[in-house]
Amino acid sequence: MEELRKGFHHELDEVRLSLARLAATVIEAIPRATNVLLAGDLEGAEYLILADDEIDSRSIALEDRCYQLLALQAPVAGDLRQLISILKMVGEIERSADLLVNIAKAARRIYGHALDPKLRGIIAKMGEQAQQLFTSALQSFEENDVAIAGAIDDMDSYLDSLQRQFVQAIFESHAAGSIDLQVAIQLAVVARFYERIGDHAVNIGERVLFIVSGWRPEHRGAARHTAKMGQDDTYGIPIPKSTATEG
Amino acid sequence: MLVGGIIIGLIVGLIVSRIIFLRKSTTSNTQPIVPIVETLPSEAEAPVAELNSVLNAIPLGVVVTDEQGNIVLGSHVVAGVEILRHIDVLVNEAAERIIKKSRELGSTVRETLELFGPPPRTLVIEARPLEGLKSIAIIEDISERTRIDAVRTDFVANISHELKTPVGALSILADTIRDEDDLKVIHRLSSKMVKEANRMAKTIDDLLELSRIELDVSAVLEPVSIFSVIAESIDRMAYFAAQAGISIVSQLPEADCVVKGDRLQLVSAVSNLVDNAVKYSEKGDKVTVRVSALEATLEVSVSDEGIGIPQSDIGRIFERFYRVDRARSRGTGGTGLGLSIVRHVVNNHGGSVNVTSQEGEGSTFVLTLLRPSGNNAVNKI
Repeated sequence: MEELRKGFHHELDEVRLSLARLAATVIEAIPRATNVLLAGDLEGAEYLILADDEIDSRSIALEDRCYQLLALQAPVAGDLRQLISILKMVGEIERSADLLVNIAKAARRIYGHALDPKLRGIIAKMGEQAQQLFTSALQSFEENDVAIAGAIDDMDSYLDSLQRQFVQAIFESHAAGSIDLQVAIQLAVVARFYERIGDHAVNIGERVLFIVSGWRPEHRGAARHTAKMGQDDTYGIPIPKSTATEG
Repeated sequence: MLVGGIIIGLIVGLIVSRIIFLRKSTTSNTQPIVPIVETLPSEAEAPVAELNSVLNAIPLGVVVTDEQGNIVLGSHVVAGVEILRHIDVLVNEAAERIIKKSRELGSTVRETLELFGPPPRTLVIEARPLEGLKSIAIIEDISERTRIDAVRTDFVANISHELKTPVGALSILADTIRDEDDLKVIHRLSSKMVKEANRMAKTIDDLLELSRIELDVSAVLEPVSIFSVIAESIDRMAYFAAQAGISIVSQLPEADCVVKGDRLQLVSAVSNLVDNAVKYSEKGDKVTVRVSALEATLEVSVSDEGIGIPQSDIGRIFERFYRVDRARSRGTGGTGLGLSIVRHVVNNHGGSVNVTSQEGEGSTFVLTLLRPSGNNAVNKI
């Protein structure tokens, strides 16, 4: 069979590759940010903060490319879902990079304050888990792997529980007098940053589900709403069947 | 460098000759009747597949582009250890960028790419133009070389620190005592001198022990009861542990096991691990020494509930004089050589040592030693 839109599909492949590269850059930056925080590496913090400009510029370029393709190529069906999802994923990735900048800035604010091993241990774990989530998100996107995409949400609950543990450890550490209130608050915010990065990875996974099946997690709520109101607000667009395991 | 150059030369030669070969086979095959054209792709693919497998066997990444800059050939980027997905993506991106640069400049471009990992990797990517607008990029993983360089520089810095600090302290203390009349002050200063001298002596002792173990001249290979090794190692630390309020528990299998080795060296290795475990634990913590007998090996593990080791340091703790936290280790009185001794002892015994650690939760060191085949219980010897 002759490929009708070869030029367009080639461009779509390039857009996909650019997104994968953007995500890979963020995945690489996650352990750097963790190390900046744990080692009090001010130079590394500066590097991360400056490197975000490049991510911003690449995000804008990628977004514009998507608009162009949408306007000029009028993609349909799977291609349309891909482009729209990539547009949304760019936002998720770009925001995650901003969160890493926030971690680097927090590292500057608590510079010189020693953290006890328990806090350091949980920070290391949160960093690893956030990187793991993002790596899975990238993998599911590159391979259109619904199974991995569906698992990211469950993997994220571990990161959430780490965040709760961390907040508990901050209370203990503060009560024991080993960190002062200002550091405690900075750390609590840092935990929130990691947790948010995990959420962005979950969102990327959900966009992969949408690319493959057209299903979005919001369909669950929408279905409940329809059942409750006894009327259909979906304008007659059928709800696709979930291919992922529903939690 | 020379070897690298030769390898690169070989690959370039190989690829160029293969590409020429490909071309020849295509031109000669297109001449005759139609059906052969059908088989053309597979015939052309076969040498490419072969070439790819050859390239993948070489510990270098290779990317070749055609006249338009499209990638026609690429081997696995980083050979060896399992590579993380995003690193693959980043390396490909860098290779593409460097090839583009080299094509624009028409000359060789060389860049170093540092990736955080984990584990951290350092890659050198070199792109150069080939005959007829084609280009090649060669990706070399120099992580190991970079690591060894870092170990070497740090070692020189650390050993001079470890040896010069007590000597400096001694000379200043002696200088002060010389002009001092107050007996009380003299007493205080001289007891400090004794402490510094002891510290120095301990460092020298450990250095000598380490070089002895390294040379392996003292090793007497004989069947050694692992129970006695454990008992003696725990015994050495029992007093300090009791004083610090740390309990040492041993979990041993029902029957004693033997390993073939040097008793003194083995005691030195295990007691170093127990010593560390006690040192980095807090009051009320527990240190567990566990022996598990497997089919061909014996595992001795020492776990603590102490402060743990940061991920970024864990790969380096077996280096001589490497310190995770210099300020703290002066307080614990270690020499910074204990784990080097452990590593050399297990190497001498054909075993291995592994560590897992989580900051704030503790560390576990596992020594894996070979069991002599056949006789396993002590009483059979």
